[in-house]
Amino acid sequence: MAHLAVSDVRAKYGTLEVLKGVTFSIGKGEIATLVGPSGSGKSTVLRALMGLTPVTGGTVEIAGERMNYSSAREVRAARDRMAIVFQQYNLFQNMTVMQNLTLAPLKIKKWDKQQVNSEARRLLGLVGLSDKADAYSDQLSGGQQQRVALARALALKPQILLLDEVTSALDPELVNEVLDAIRKLADEGMTMVIVSHEMAFVREIADKVVFMDAGQIVEAGTPKEILDTPKTERARDFFSKILRH
Amino acid sequence: MNYRFQFGVVWDNFPLLLEGALLTFQLGCFAFAGGALIGLVCATLKTYAPWPLRVLVDCYVVFITNTPALIQIYFLYFGLPELGFRWSNEACLLIGLTLNAGAYLTLILRAGFLSVRVSEIEAGQTLGMSLIQQVRYIIVPHIAKSIYPAVANFFIVILVMGTSVGALIGVDELTGQAINLSAVNYRWLEYLTVVAGMYVVLTFIASIGLALLGRWAFRVKARIF
Repeated sequence: MAHLAVSDVRAKYGTLEVLKGVTFSIGKGEIATLVGPSGSGKSTVLRALMGLTPVTGGTVEIAGERMNYSSAREVRAARDRMAIVFQQYNLFQNMTVMQNLTLAPLKIKKWDKQQVNSEARRLLGLVGLSDKADAYSDQLSGGQQQRVALARALALKPQILLLDEVTSALDPELVNEVLDAIRKLADEGMTMVIVSHEMAFVREIADKVVFMDAGQIVEAGTPKEILDTPKTERARDFFSKILRH
Repeated sequence: MNYRFQFGVVWDNFPLLLEGALLTFQLGCFAFAGGALIGLVCATLKTYAPWPLRVLVDCYVVFITNTPALIQIYFLYFGLPELGFRWSNEACLLIGLTLNAGAYLTLILRAGFLSVRVSEIEAGQTLGMSLIQQVRYIIVPHIAKSIYPAVANFFIVILVMGTSVGALIGVDELTGQAINLSAVNYRWLEYLTVVAGMYVVLTFIASIGLALLGRWAFRVKARIF
């Protein structure tokens, strides 16, 4: 059974339909990557899943459970099951690293303080930032901030992790430290949907590659199928441009 | 120039000046606190309320910021008694200064509301925060930090410029006290020199206090000088 099943999902910004019926699914522990040109709707898929962009049609199921986005409560139910990491990290700048990680588990979920703190320390170890627990975000490099954002998302124990171009804002030499952290998560069996332009990374980590253009899925398949032998002209054109260098 | 400075008479009356300084400090603090409350309410209304309330806030802010504080306080002290509203001179000064501060702090706080980064709000939302939790954990701390320097400067403005208007309606704050004492023995130069120094010291103490408070509470890298 699919762990995440997205079926004919539609979304609009005003009158502009940015998702024109998107359908894909992944199993537990699998990793799907969304690729495609800018403006194709990749990020919007993740934002719609998190209820940041209003969903105007279609269905989303997580572990067989239907998610609705029609009320604030139902949106929160979706946010309980998924977590997102943004391109620009979006850390709370007035808080330390540790406070960023523990705020939601302590204040919103009201989980046990001792467990939250020890879990937060474990996650900081996982992303290699054990020594930065008391630093503020403006004292960290972009790569470090992004790893904090990753740990913060994980602190809520999501069933599915969404990563929205998490390395696009980083200096090239900082990209690998973030990718390494994602690799570790993959090894732990985390189910992930990743929007990325790092094609080598996509090829290495993805179970499924979904190529999008103009708010629709053009084709989907294994990394080998999509990256090496794309069937559609649109995908061939896109990959020939970006894989050349 | 054969003026002979005689500071002795000033020192004799120094306790009275200190009393005036204390009153100045109290008036500044109360007017600022009241104004901050008005400003917070008005800035919230201006950001989230329906348009009639927003227009009302605009009228208040425009009316107050575009008229001199002295006119506002004279209006309360000399004008309103004609209509039967009679308050003490200190009450008039405090009400006037509070309303005045409220309008300016509305503008400052409003700028703070507008400066909250959408990305942090979205991060809060995706972590499952309700609107109230977003305000409490993201918006208020952010505003507090971003507008702290402007608010701290404004406190000094009220403390020094605002309260001294009281002298003109007979409030014995620092300026008023200086004028009263000078008028007795015409030692204006000595009194005003000492009082100017006292204002500087008062402001200096307030600045250090505010800078320390800002660093401690909001991680503001405030300069003291």
